[in-house]
Amino acid sequence: MGMEKMELVSLVGKMDELESCLSRCCESGCFHIQPAFTSAGAASGLTMLNEKNGYTAVLKSYERLAADLGIELKETDYSACTLKSPEDFANRAEEISSAFEQANTQKKDSLQKISEINETITQINHLQGMNSDFKEIFSCKYVASRIGRLPTDNLEKLDYYDENFFFIPFETQDLYCWGMYFCPMSEKAIVDDLFRSMYFERIMLPESIEGDADEAIKQLSADLVHQQALADEAQKTISSVSAASYEEIQQAYSKLRYLHGTFELRKKVGYLSGKFYIKGFVPTRDKKHFSELMNGLGSVTVSYMPPDADANCTPPTILKNSWFTRPFNMMVEMYGLPNYGGFNPTAFVAITYTLLFGIMFGDLGQGFLVVLLGLIVGKKLNKNAGGMMVRCGLSSMVFGTLYGSVFGFEELLDPLYEQLGISFLPLKVFKQTNFILITAVAIGVGLIIMSMLINIYIGFKQRDYEKAIFGCNGIAGLVFYSSVAVGLVGTMMFDMKIMSPPFVICLIVIPLICIFCRVPFSLAVKYKKFRLSADEEEKMTIGGFIVENFFEMFEFILSYISNTMSFLRVGGFVLSHAGMMLVVMTLMEGGSAISRPIILVIGNAFVMAMEGMIVAIQIIRLEFYEIFSRFNESDGVPFEPVGVSFAPQEQ
Amino acid sequence: MLDSMSSNATVAKIRSLHGRMLTRDNYREILTKRSVPEIAEYLSTTRRFGELLSDVDPMTVHRGFLETLLEKENFDTYIRLCEFQQLDKVPFFGYQIEKAEIGCILMLINNINTGLDRSYLDDLPGYIIKHTSLDLLGLSRAGDFTELLKMLRKTKYHKPLVRVPLGEDGTVDYTECERRLRTQYYTNVIRHAEDSFPDSQSDEVVKMVKADIDFLNMINAYRMKAFYGFTADQIKQHQIKIQGVGKRLDNYYELETPEQMLEWLSEHETHTELAEDELIEVTMQRNKYRRLEHTIYRSFNAPVVLYAFTQLCEYETANIIHMIEGVRYGVDPAYIENNLLVC
Repeated sequence: MGMEKMELVSLVGKMDELESCLSRCCESGCFHIQPAFTSAGAASGLTMLNEKNGYTAVLKSYERLAADLGIELKETDYSACTLKSPEDFANRAEEISSAFEQANTQKKDSLQKISEINETITQINHLQGMNSDFKEIFSCKYVASRIGRLPTDNLEKLDYYDENFFFIPFETQDLYCWGMYFCPMSEKAIVDDLFRSMYFERIMLPESIEGDADEAIKQLSADLVHQQALADEAQKTISSVSAASYEEIQQAYSKLRYLHGTFELRKKVGYLSGKFYIKGFVPTRDKKHFSELMNGLGSVTVSYMPPDADANCTPPTILKNSWFTRPFNMMVEMYGLPNYGGFNPTAFVAITYTLLFGIMFGDLGQGFLVVLLGLIVGKKLNKNAGGMMVRCGLSSMVFGTLYGSVFGFEELLDPLYEQLGISFLPLKVFKQTNFILITAVAIGVGLIIMSMLINIYIGFKQRDYEKAIFGCNGIAGLVFYSSVAVGLVGTMMFDMKIMSPPFVICLIVIPLICIFCRVPFSLAVKYKKFRLSADEEEKMTIGGFIVENFFEMFEFILSYISNTMSFLRVGGFVLSHAGMMLVVMTLMEGGSAISRPIILVIGNAFVMAMEGMIVAIQIIRLEFYEIFSRFNESDGVPFEPVGVSFAPQEQ
Repeated sequence: MLDSMSSNATVAKIRSLHGRMLTRDNYREILTKRSVPEIAEYLSTTRRFGELLSDVDPMTVHRGFLETLLEKENFDTYIRLCEFQQLDKVPFFGYQIEKAEIGCILMLINNINTGLDRSYLDDLPGYIIKHTSLDLLGLSRAGDFTELLKMLRKTKYHKPLVRVPLGEDGTVDYTECERRLRTQYYTNVIRHAEDSFPDSQSDEVVKMVKADIDFLNMINAYRMKAFYGFTADQIKQHQIKIQGVGKRLDNYYELETPEQMLEWLSEHETHTELAEDELIEVTMQRNKYRRLEHTIYRSFNAPVVLYAFTQLCEYETANIIHMIEGVRYGVDPAYIENNLLVC
């Protein structure tokens, strides 16, 4: 399983065919557009088309219309819609609007007033410190006053102005200070100008406000109720118009979204001497289909280039996966896509995730329920999540059979194995604790070694010798790690004297030296030159090199140990699952005959939900930290074919 | 060892903050906006400025205030980083405050020269006031240069300014004031670095500061030659002179024509061909921008990384202000992008 091959496509044509060209790009469903110009391009005269989208205003007017009528817009077949130009759409929208204009104006007025009243209440809340009558203050003949907010940083400056004014702060926040300033009416213009220069934002209070802050809030609350009643009445009229024009608006809006979306793509189109330039990527397998689509356009020439032909464009990544591995794509995307030409780890993840889940959550009955649940989730909610659950559930059933566990009944399959004559099965978890824990660590060692092998493969592919040969996950790391593992297992478990001086020197010390000196060694291989640092400008002293690498070596060795030990959790969860089911069984035995089935069902449901979730999360952790971190570089760009999104626009 | 470990946390924090800075894609996105409120709204959705602009209404915010807020964010970030591991107790880390103080003094001198009455107070960045020992607000009372000198008598800024001759009309040579203040600033920064840090660390800081001085001198010399026709001696007179800095530039100052200067810069500084009609500042600053970004990830010295980061933040703000101006005046987005200091 690898990655889709990409081709860099350049489309050049006359401006009058731009719209058709963009429309066909959308239709193709396989064109990942790139901005046509770069800084260098701009310097050579190529400019970006930044035309105003004529459909934006009318699109907004339909959104407003739908909002006014309470219609929730959704994608609809618009083949019956005959409207074409922005003017046609605008005229029709106006006709519909006129049918409920009066009621709508009434409703808008009331809602506007409600909003203003709420806004005013919020502002007056900031003026709670003021106990004088607003009306009296604003009706002063010789004194002008303004309410508003001033940036807090500018408060201190006020004392240093010579102008005739004073400022009363009511509430000081991080960014703004709410308050009021007073000045003689004759100097109002100068003082207003002064405050404007300090970015004072003035607030206009309604003229009807009377009394102090508390009284004003009471008056405003009563007005709020009255306005709400008026708004409700107007809404009834609007609802009747909405029902009549529902279908027409949906169709017109869907068509508009398409026209608007294709026009928006122009922002990524370059323009030079009456011709347009579009750049993007197409998967090689769709090249023929894409060319055929463009064939119908007379002036448009399509040129294909290798994906790395333009240094300013990063080729997008599409992972190629089989039916078994496809749902696990989600996990790789969550960690970050590998770059184009990198290694697709999905198959590796799919196999290891499924196996680990089965081992940690082995139960024939519960696994079967996970499969059923996965089928439902896949159909109703999320196809990938459902697919993962089905595969994990099947794995759980297989390992459940090996453990002889069915809904927590550990002896249920014993007669079957006896009849088949298999004496070493089922595995009795609590009787073979050491075996399970040692096997878990062995699985971890195996997975870490496989991750290192993948890293070596990627390193050689990228001609990165530090990564492939000398790095802690390269050949040196692999030799060191596997030798230590073999040495320890041989010495401690099989009493073999493997750790002889030649073994230690050749397979442990030399690889460690290679890791320690990975930078100079890889530079020597690559450039035939001795240097302590990859950065030519950096003056790395031998002392600095030794200290830096000593700590890094310390970290590498620590990570080998901690990563390996981390897999103990695999065995731990086998025991924990069996332990939790044992608790359920014990509770069930202590209960009455009627309560037993209930305890069994609730107990199984609880263990499935909690244990299943924890196991799923723990495996993600193992995959991301212990495995992915050794080889995966997640700097890929996802493939996003151009198309028209129907998601409502940001207002 | 412990010192190095402790400053590593600041370095890590700076690198994480650097990750939040606007990228080329963000800049391109901003260039698609058609008004200042749209830009303000976009900035409020970014991780870099989201928190800062959360209380700001993009529809009503004044352009000037928006720009001040962006500058305030840079200054506050610098203060937070200094306080993070109590680095502010080391004299070197006051460099950004000193720079801001000099900026205010120069602004006041300019106002005195041009007779703008109140604009010093209007333009004074309020966020600096509480961090400086200089009475920046009190300085607004200075009506002329002599009064300003009186007010600065007990400060470090008195010495460089007192020697600047006063003109008959009461004005002073602004460029000379700027040169003297900047010379003192860089001298102080270098001295503080040498006093505060061990040799290996201070060497790296000093190297960076000296590169900064050379950078300013190179651009100024070119401008003096290309736009004012200054002779080599006149150019040398107007440069920031610090012992051991800029000796390699002597040959550059001696060049006879601006074209030769461009050639010298292409060969020794930018390593790309500089066209005569090109804004050399943009090309050179882009080079510097690249160097600063590189420094942030290469160096493990907190002072070096912080010094580079503060400059990158300033460049970022300059870019945003440049785009705001461009959008306000309806300049072609491709032209604006061409003059951004992002590589």
